[in-house]
Amino acid sequence: MENRSTYWLVAPSALIFAVLFIAPMAFFVLVSFWQVEYFELNTEPTIGNYRDVFANYWHVMSFTVAVATATALLTTLLGFAFSFLARFRAGEWAQVLLFIVLITLFGGYLMKIYAWKTILGNEGVLNSALMAMGIISSPITSLLYSPQAVVVTLMHFSLPFAVLPIYASMRGISDSEVEAARDLGAGRWPILSTVIVPRCQSGIVAAFSFVFLMVGGDYVTPLLVGGKLTMIGNLIAPQFGAQFNWPLGAAMSIVMLIAAVVVIYLFRLLVALWSRQ
Amino acid sequence: MNARSNIVWGIVAVAFIVFLLSPIVLLVVFSFTSRTLTNFPIEGLSLRWWQEMMVTRQFWPAFANSLIIGLCVALVSAVVGTLAAMGLAAMPKRRASIIMALLTLPVMLPPLVLGVALLSFYVTIDLKLGLPTVILSHVLFAQPFVILIVHARMVNFDPRVVESARDLGATPLQAFFTVTLPIIRPVVIGAALIAMALSIDDFIITFFTIGTGNTLPTLVWGMIRTGLTPAVNAIGTLILLLTIGSTVIALQLTRYRG
Repeated sequence: MENRSTYWLVAPSALIFAVLFIAPMAFFVLVSFWQVEYFELNTEPTIGNYRDVFANYWHVMSFTVAVATATALLTTLLGFAFSFLARFRAGEWAQVLLFIVLITLFGGYLMKIYAWKTILGNEGVLNSALMAMGIISSPITSLLYSPQAVVVTLMHFSLPFAVLPIYASMRGISDSEVEAARDLGAGRWPILSTVIVPRCQSGIVAAFSFVFLMVGGDYVTPLLVGGKLTMIGNLIAPQFGAQFNWPLGAAMSIVMLIAAVVVIYLFRLLVALWSRQ
Repeated sequence: MNARSNIVWGIVAVAFIVFLLSPIVLLVVFSFTSRTLTNFPIEGLSLRWWQEMMVTRQFWPAFANSLIIGLCVALVSAVVGTLAAMGLAAMPKRRASIIMALLTLPVMLPPLVLGVALLSFYVTIDLKLGLPTVILSHVLFAQPFVILIVHARMVNFDPRVVESARDLGATPLQAFFTVTLPIIRPVVIGAALIAMALSIDDFIITFFTIGTGNTLPTLVWGMIRTGLTPAVNAIGTLILLLTIGSTVIALQLTRYRG
């Protein structure tokens, strides 16, 4: 009796999950095998959309995977450094650092991207500040609308998501473990590489996965700071608006998710290999 | 040696803080500039962009929509999430963590994919797009946060206090309202505020599931795409005030640190 009521308590959440996640996602997969003809959905199953993705959008897909991989690697590295700083070097300042990460986690997705646009523009904050200080005489025009601008912006809003899982797993490492390694004569790098990284495996993989998925599906950043750069999200979004081709958009989304799973799996192998040596 | 490495780490810490916060701070500063261009030098401070925000016709409906959606999402996900967290806390650990991982899946998915999947689903089942569909969609990705935060509190909760209330003759409901709820109330309110912050901040899922109408972020999007005015900075500052403000209060209430 007591036990059954436990499961009833989870029922409302489970219902929301089933109706608003499982059902729409199952439908989404189904749609990816349909086709649009004369602005109507033709439910005859076909793999034509997937063939289309591989034939016509392959370069956008691989560019997206490249940007997402680079951003996820860099952000995970930064997240690791930040967590290390907060856990082992910051002392009582750790609380402040963590607080900053948490408040930037929950607020301002669109505003952060927009802020980078105003920072990096020709007449933007950075150029005008450098010119006012007399460091440069004419604006650096290559700051905005470049792959670097996209990566920096993506790193900025995804860093908090990388810090939290890594910091959480670093909190599980006790000072005595690190001291024991030091007493046994291990230098700084060996301690980092053979004690700390292996203990943070799950956090590091979670951070990489979070960032990769978030970045791989982003379309706002390339639109605002990428100029002519196109990521797969920029092709997916219009399929559900002006272009009206749900099946193609669904197939693009699913190929992107599968690519993400593959890259995350490879990254996980890499981290596991590192930890085993 | 040690002093030098301390200085190095200090510089790294400052660099991180500047990187994380300066875009946000600049946005706030430039909402008070007196000029049209958002750059240096700042010649004077004024409230003209805040005034312009107030007289922008679409601002008030968008502001109202953001608040309505945010409050509804906070309320629904707090109730649903707290129930689930209590249920999960009473389950065997392994099973609870599997269920929790499943319920967290919507957060792992890119918002764009979730947004377009929900849009095509709603349209196909003939659900009219509007505030209710946005609220439903937001609850889906907000409830895992509530569950995580409240669950973290529930596992440290001493079940004996509820048992003693039950032994003294309280019904399960009485025991909940007189014993459990007063103890976990700050955490539940904090989790609700986080849910509200997530909801008010969301742009992508709202954009695809609202149909017509605006929230603050979709209004900002429209303004960015049609031309820059620093009134965008004012609305952006307002969004940050709402989301970061409620997060700060929530962190105080829950003492949740990851």
